Amino acid sequence: MNRALPEMLHCLNGPATSTDMTVLERQRARMKWQPQEQQGYFGGSDQFAGLFLEPGQVGSFQGLLGGESVLGEVLTRSVKPDPGLENGWPELLNMGFTEFDMNCAISRTSSCPPTVAPPPPEAKGKVSPPAEKVSSAVGRESFKKRKADKLQNTKVVAEDDSKDKRSKVCAEEGESKITEQTSNKDNNRETSADTSKENSKASEAQKPDYIHVRARRGQATDSHSLAERVRREKISERMKYLQDLVPGCNKITGKAGMLDEIINYVQSLQRQVEFLSMKLAAVNPRLDFNIEDLFAKELLLYQQMFPACSTGFPTIGMSSEMTNPAYLQFNPAQQVVACCGLDMGMNNTADMGLRRTISTPASIPETYLDSSCFTQLQPSSTWDADVQNLFNLEFHQGRSISFPSQPFTGSIEASNLKMEL
Amino acid sequence: MATKGVTLNTNARKIRFARRFISILLKMRKTRSPCSSSSIEDVRKRSQRIKIAAYSSMAHAVGPRRAWSRAVLFKLRSRARHQSMMKRRSFGLQKKRVVVVKNNNDIIPSGQLSQADRLRQLVPGGKAMDMCSLLEETADYISCLATQVKVMQTIADHFSK
Repeated sequence: MNRALPEMLHCLNGPATSTDMTVLERQRARMKWQPQEQQGYFGGSDQFAGLFLEPGQVGSFQGLLGGESVLGEVLTRSVKPDPGLENGWPELLNMGFTEFDMNCAISRTSSCPPTVAPPPPEAKGKVSPPAEKVSSAVGRESFKKRKADKLQNTKVVAEDDSKDKRSKVCAEEGESKITEQTSNKDNNRETSADTSKENSKASEAQKPDYIHVRARRGQATDSHSLAERVRREKISERMKYLQDLVPGCNKITGKAGMLDEIINYVQSLQRQVEFLSMKLAAVNPRLDFNIEDLFAKELLLYQQMFPACSTGFPTIGMSSEMTNPAYLQFNPAQQVVACCGLDMGMNNTADMGLRRTISTPASIPETYLDSSCFTQLQPSSTWDADVQNLFNLEFHQGRSISFPSQPFTGSIEASNLKMEL
Repeated sequence: MATKGVTLNTNARKIRFARRFISILLKMRKTRSPCSSSSIEDVRKRSQRIKIAAYSSMAHAVGPRRAWSRAVLFKLRSRARHQSMMKRRSFGLQKKRVVVVKNNNDIIPSGQLSQADRLRQLVPGGKAMDMCSLLEETADYISCLATQVKVMQTIADHFSK
């Protein structure tokens, strides 16, 4: 509360400071997609009242029906409710005025004055650049202020840095995987990826991570040792993952022994590659191919390899062309699952198990899952907009009312979630 | 994040590896088919080439998003450039090769390194990494190598039938 109030003052100063935006800020702002989304909602509902809710809904349903060509569009739209849901969860859990809640509320209030003519929510779904810019500029500005505020507290800064790095890595991965994805999806990918890293932080809700990094009683609190602790945690995490990968590494305790085992395994694999290449070279001249033979061979290879796959996936004759779309479709499903808050109560292993179970079936049930989830989520978004619309009126009357309104939206979103679950 | 990639598209990755590897093998066979002699030298050369093909197919399939694959691709590219230059002036070839081998020998047996350094030597491009990213890259590299070994095993089994 104490911290939030000066922030609000900062934010109300207007867009004068938005000129000195740096590239670094953009990265941070990107992490803040979700509040921006909500700002967008806000602005939209502010200007156009309930008018655009129905078109938005209709449009999204059309998108749902429209097949693969508009899949990306559908995703951006259907992902939209997520921020609300994710915000709702911590709110539900904390049920009070946490720091995060305050920040969220403030970014909303700050969005109100500068958004002169924000587009309706349906236009936002199509990632129209100017609209994004407006809201993102606001988001940056507010976040910068927030950051400046945080600078007073070394703990938070250290945590901030580490989180930035992590998110950078995740973002890189996301971009390389599916380049056409929008940053909304990207952000959600980040969250889902991060949950797998045991940090179970929704990209917006940094609360658990913050607690996680914080020094316990008797531990050093300066930024260096905090950073060191984070680094060590990361290393041990990766070691754990490697332990799963390397066979026979489970029994060994101690980092040195594990590293030894890992080195041996890598060496043995490299030797195997060498040996097999020698074998192939020896086999080589006896066989002469032509190109038609190649295709037959490749087919045979596929048939061989699918049963030979030791991971135990019950694969039905999927071609490579099939698997890739399946993967693409799987990701949204995973996001939806992650956003539904199923992973909130789960620990890492359970989450992994869930993912595996989701990844096993063929693509067709996944698509069904997707669409059903989206249709379920879509009404909740309209709900959100409605509720926010109501509160927006209150904002015009007096800004101080926004604070009590915050938990209220949370509870409503929670009820929505319950309906979905 | 690495976990997701590994668990999800093991099959897709396998197929990608196999496709590239087979295409490279076929290319090699086309170029090499006239002089299909089976002297020991020839076999060794060919195995070397197949090994390189395996690594390159792996790295190509993974693409430039991983540090180790980037390192492998860079090495391959520089190697190709080197070889093309060597072909142009074939006199300098043997001398330079000797030099390169010497350097390798100097680096490898320097013995009692820390384990992290040993791992750094094994993972391509690992020399410039810190511990964190090294472990991450190692995890990915291991999974890729295991997949590649499986692919090669299947191919070898298929051929030796």
